[in-house]
Amino acid sequence: MCSSLRAAAFGLIVAISTHVPTAAHAKAPKAAAALHPDLSGFWTSSRAKNPDPGLIAELPANTVVLDDTGIAEFPQGEFGGLKIKPDALAAAMKWKPQDETTISRACAAPSIVYAEQGPFPFEIYQTPELIVFKYEYFDMVRLIFMDGRPHPPESAPHSKTGHSVGHWEGDELVIDTTHLEPATITNNGLQHSANIHLVERYRLSADRKTLMATQWFEDPEVLDNNGARYIQWSARPGNYVFPYDCDPSFALNYQQAK
Amino acid sequence: MRGKTILAAMAAPFLTPCAAVAHHSFAAFFDPSKIVTITGTVTQFAFTNPHGMIVLNVKATNGSVQEWRVETNAPVVLMRRGWSRDVLKAGETITVDGWPSRDGKPWLRLRSAKRADGSSIGVPFGQSDV
Repeated sequence: MCSSLRAAAFGLIVAISTHVPTAAHAKAPKAAAALHPDLSGFWTSSRAKNPDPGLIAELPANTVVLDDTGIAEFPQGEFGGLKIKPDALAAAMKWKPQDETTISRACAAPSIVYAEQGPFPFEIYQTPELIVFKYEYFDMVRLIFMDGRPHPPESAPHSKTGHSVGHWEGDELVIDTTHLEPATITNNGLQHSANIHLVERYRLSADRKTLMATQWFEDPEVLDNNGARYIQWSARPGNYVFPYDCDPSFALNYQQAK
Repeated sequence: MRGKTILAAMAAPFLTPCAAVAHHSFAAFFDPSKIVTITGTVTQFAFTNPHGMIVLNVKATNGSVQEWRVETNAPVVLMRRGWSRDVLKAGETITVDGWPSRDGKPWLRLRSAKRADGSSIGVPFGQSDV
C-alpha cells in the first residue's frame, strides 16, 4: 500500500477506534443503504448447514471448495483437494506444527486468505466510497476501495491484508484483492505466493441476520487448480471486536515444557 | 495441596474440538481422539493472545510432581466464555481436561476447567460455538 493510502487508513482507523462500542453497529449513510445492502455491523462466525447455492454456482470452473471453514482445520498433510505444484507440496510436507511455536512465529499473522474464515468476529463499516473490515484476529484492518480505482503497480508493497477494490453486482459485494504477502492457505504448511489473486462475494440473507460469502483464489505459482471457501457469519448487534495484541512469549512456554 | 493425577486417555469421537484456528493448527498439533484430565496447583496464568497459558504442578500417586502446561484458546475467545485475566490465582487447585499434544510433552489444549469445589471456570469448549 502506498504511503498516502496508509495515511488515509490510519486516520480512518483512529476515528473508528475512538467509537468502537457504538460505531460497531452504526448504520451506513442512508444514500449507501438505499442503493445497496447495508452490511455494516458486528459479525461472528456461524456454522453453515448448507452453503448458499447461488454463491457456490458463481464459482469459476476448476475450483475446489475447502472444507476447513470456521472451527475446522485440516490435519498435517491434508489440503482439501487443492492440486499443489511439486515444489510447494514438498515444502508443505516438510512443515511441522512445532515450527510455529517459536518467538519469531507465534505472532506472525496469516494473510486474509486464511484469517477471514476462522471463528473470530469482525466489524464492517460501510460508505459508498470505502468499506472497512476490522477483524479481531491479529487486529487486522482491510480497506475496500469502492471508488473505482485500480490496484497499484505489481511492484507496490505487499501486506497480509493486500490491496482490495470492490464493486456491487446486484445485492452482492464483490471484492478483488491482490498484493498479498506470502502466508499460509490452510494453516498446515501450504503457503500461497505473493501473486495470489483473491475474489470474495458477500451477500446478506433475506432476514439480514446472516452474512454469506465465498472466498475464491487462484495462485498459478502454487496451484494447478483454484481454491474456494464458503463462509457464513451471524449478526450480533451491539458487540464489538476485542483487541488481539498478540504476545509471542507464549512460545517460550512450549520450549520450556519437558 | 493434595493433588492427584488422573490421566485418562480415551477415544472421544463425540468431542469435536472447538479450539481451532490458532497461530498453529489444532489438528496438526493436538490429538483430537484423546482427552487427558489433570488436577494440580496453579503456578502461572498468562492471559495473552494468541493463547492463554496455565502452568500447573501435578502430583502423581507416587508423590512426584510434574509440571504441566495447558494452552487455552485465544483470550479474546475466552472473554466471551466467562474468563478474565484474574480468573485464576497462583496456589489455587484446579482440574482441567483437554487434548494432549502429539509430541508427548506435558502440554494440553484446554477443553474445560473446574475449581476444587467443582464449579466450572467459564464455558467449556465443545458445547457451543466459540
